[in-house]
Amino acid sequence: MKDVDVLDDFDIEDYIRQDQMPHFLCPGCGHGIALRALMWAIHDLAIPKDKLAVVSGIGCSGRLSGYVDASTFHTTHGRPLAFATGLALARPDLHVIVISGDGDCLAIGGNHMIHSCRRNLNMTCMMLNNEIYGMTGGQVSPTTSSDRFTTTTPAGNTEPVFDACALAAAAGASFVGREVTLQILALRELLRDAIANDGFSFVEVISDCTEIYGRKNDLGASPEMMMSQKSSMRPFAYRNTVDVPFRPTGLKTGVLAKTDRPEYGKAYRAMTEKLRGKKGRG
Amino acid sequence: MGSQQVRLSGSGGQGLILAARILASALVAEGRNIAQSQSYEPVSRGGLSRSDLIISDGEAAFPLADTLDVLLILHGDASRASTGLLNAKSLVLTDSDLVTDPPKGRFKTVSLPFSETARLLGNKRVANIVALGAIAARSDICGAGALEAAIASNTPPKFARLNVEAFAAGQNLCKAEVPA
Amino acid sequence: MSQRINLQGNHACALGAIRAGCRFFAGYPITPSSEVAESMARELPKVGGTFIQMEDEIASMAAVIGASMGGMKSMTATSGPGFSLKQENLGYACGAEIPCVIVNVMRGGPSTGMPTRPSQGDIMQARWGTHGDHPIIVLAPASAAEAFSETSRAVELSEQLRVPVVVLLDEAIGHLVETVDLDAIPETPEVWRKWAEGPKQDYEPYAVTDDMVPPMSRPGDGYRTHTTGLTHAPNGFPTQNPAIAEAALTRTTTKLDLHRERYESWRVRQCDDADLLIVAIGISARAAQAAVDDLRADGVKAGLFRPVTLWPFPEEALREVVASSGAKTVLVPEMNQGQLVLEVERVLKGSAGTVGLGRIDGEAITPDQIAGKAREILG
Repeated sequence: MKDVDVLDDFDIEDYIRQDQMPHFLCPGCGHGIALRALMWAIHDLAIPKDKLAVVSGIGCSGRLSGYVDASTFHTTHGRPLAFATGLALARPDLHVIVISGDGDCLAIGGNHMIHSCRRNLNMTCMMLNNEIYGMTGGQVSPTTSSDRFTTTTPAGNTEPVFDACALAAAAGASFVGREVTLQILALRELLRDAIANDGFSFVEVISDCTEIYGRKNDLGASPEMMMSQKSSMRPFAYRNTVDVPFRPTGLKTGVLAKTDRPEYGKAYRAMTEKLRGKKGRG
Repeated sequence: MGSQQVRLSGSGGQGLILAARILASALVAEGRNIAQSQSYEPVSRGGLSRSDLIISDGEAAFPLADTLDVLLILHGDASRASTGLLNAKSLVLTDSDLVTDPPKGRFKTVSLPFSETARLLGNKRVANIVALGAIAARSDICGAGALEAAIASNTPPKFARLNVEAFAAGQNLCKAEVPA
Repeated sequence: MSQRINLQGNHACALGAIRAGCRFFAGYPITPSSEVAESMARELPKVGGTFIQMEDEIASMAAVIGASMGGMKSMTATSGPGFSLKQENLGYACGAEIPCVIVNVMRGGPSTGMPTRPSQGDIMQARWGTHGDHPIIVLAPASAAEAFSETSRAVELSEQLRVPVVVLLDEAIGHLVETVDLDAIPETPEVWRKWAEGPKQDYEPYAVTDDMVPPMSRPGDGYRTHTTGLTHAPNGFPTQNPAIAEAALTRTTTKLDLHRERYESWRVRQCDDADLLIVAIGISARAAQAAVDDLRADGVKAGLFRPVTLWPFPEEALREVVASSGAKTVLVPEMNQGQLVLEVERVLKGSAGTVGLGRIDGEAITPDQIAGKAREILG
């Protein structure tokens, strides 16, 4: 990781709706750190708040859009990418950020996620993976680790997990990366590169849910959970290959895939301009 | 002029919907109003296919067929499908080769070699245009001139000559028609 | 110069929407509505608009709302099974008051039913398909020309009233090709939703205004508002405060009561002295027209009341027509097992007898069937 000047002029309060504070997140939740890193990246890129659109789905992650001082859209469960697709096509002048969760993005919204990756429309999806449906009281999600207890896996989770980044890369996202919340500076940099990418960027943030998930599984409080997440990850230098094992442990962090593919909105507009040119001649 | 009802029926892929579209555009050129509907099965090719035209001055009250003035049957698959819509004034034109069991009743049935004529012209797919020629000659539905122009504007230029020949051949069939 | 062309109902929907300024369409292939999408895919790029075929019906409804929130007039089209899938996000558009148009070309149901056969089985679904109390407008064209003009009107109404508008066709009308004089269809005024203007700090996206239709903020204009499907306060943020929640929900439903004259539309045929009144929509109304003409030719006093705006139902108008004609019986032919007849019964409250006539075999109701039933009723 590059050295980052932590003493820059970033102030989270410039990007947060003060009238919506205090926020509803539980003490120890990793989502706030992710939101801070996201806003920091927006600040780094000097994106004006009036040109920023944040679209979210349902769940704990879904509530984050309401805290951002931008044009924000809290949509339906699993569908934020589909809403964002319409918004980004209608308004290519906007910077569209989607905030989703592991249940929102990979379970109910899995199809939209796959096709958003394939289409490569310019937007960034930040998926907060805390391995649990927190808002509904702690049910198993597609990323819940093996043997973990949730309210719907009372004897421990027997389902295999999804590797979201491998899925995103395979489906064609032009930028794929993963980071843990403990590494907020690395996460800020990853999000900055993701937003700067002209195409569909997918960033998985390994977040932690201490209240609903950690406690039930004896994972300790937030610091312990974050430390253990960090130690189970393998920092990965991008080498133009994707070699992520389909396992919950030993996931790589950093930029995991980067491809130079045509951005869909530009490709579509080029087609329409060509058509209109032809029409003018005829 | 009162309202008239025409049904072009046969098997999917015989160009019946194209023929109906041509007839519809000829009729609009003649200043009439049409309502065209078709029934089709949830398959891409084959099966009973039909296209109906309700011809009126102004919007038809009911745009679907209930009593046919002219019924074309280009394929045996469609032999019996429309009998319930025929009456004593109906004219039924059937393909003499492909319709071996034409409907029988108080209406007039004329059997003509549409598909054979098309085959002799070198392309069995113009049987629909041959049939349009026969409809022009045998009924007062639509003038031949308007139909010729509509054929030209609704079909690819490379088939223009073949279509002109097919349409003329269809008209000629009626000069020597044989009652079924 | 007259522009008489033969136009299919489904294509007419697409052209009508474009004429009203629709510039975004997201859809998913489904019989018998696919021609709407195909038409849009062909025509929208020519006017600088955007067409996208999404991964499913849910996504296409979401994309349409997303584009509308971005400030574009947007539409989708579907049929029964797809209409069911769209209900989730249609509810979002109702709750967050996002203008959009949904064309539903009805086919036989339930489930995949009879894909190529006409039906009118979604009359109640169009009104109540999504969960919770919600405002919605449903227009029911009965010809290719009306498919054009009513879809134009749908775009206009959805913008004016910030409400989703469903254009409800049956397969028979969707696939019907009719001679349409495009010049005879009045030009659609370029109607836009009211946009937020004025001081940013005072703006409330769901403020109670005189017309109950709050101005909408457009991303990029500096208002930076929040939009949610959760019940929200005038400031746009979620609330579960009982008084605020009730006021917010009440506004969205009374909004439509307030603007009835803007969207109500119906047609009458020979109603003045009718002993028997027929109420029907779509292809059933066309059959009823022919039936009325046949019955009148036989000296039977029949008349037709045809709601063009189906929901909210033109209840006052129907009550007046029944009262002024003195009709004793109202016959409701429809291609389902009795949906519209329930609304007619509710509206008439016994002031005239109501008789349903259903058909569910995948064929259109015919004039003979309706005339026969009418003769049976009148003895």
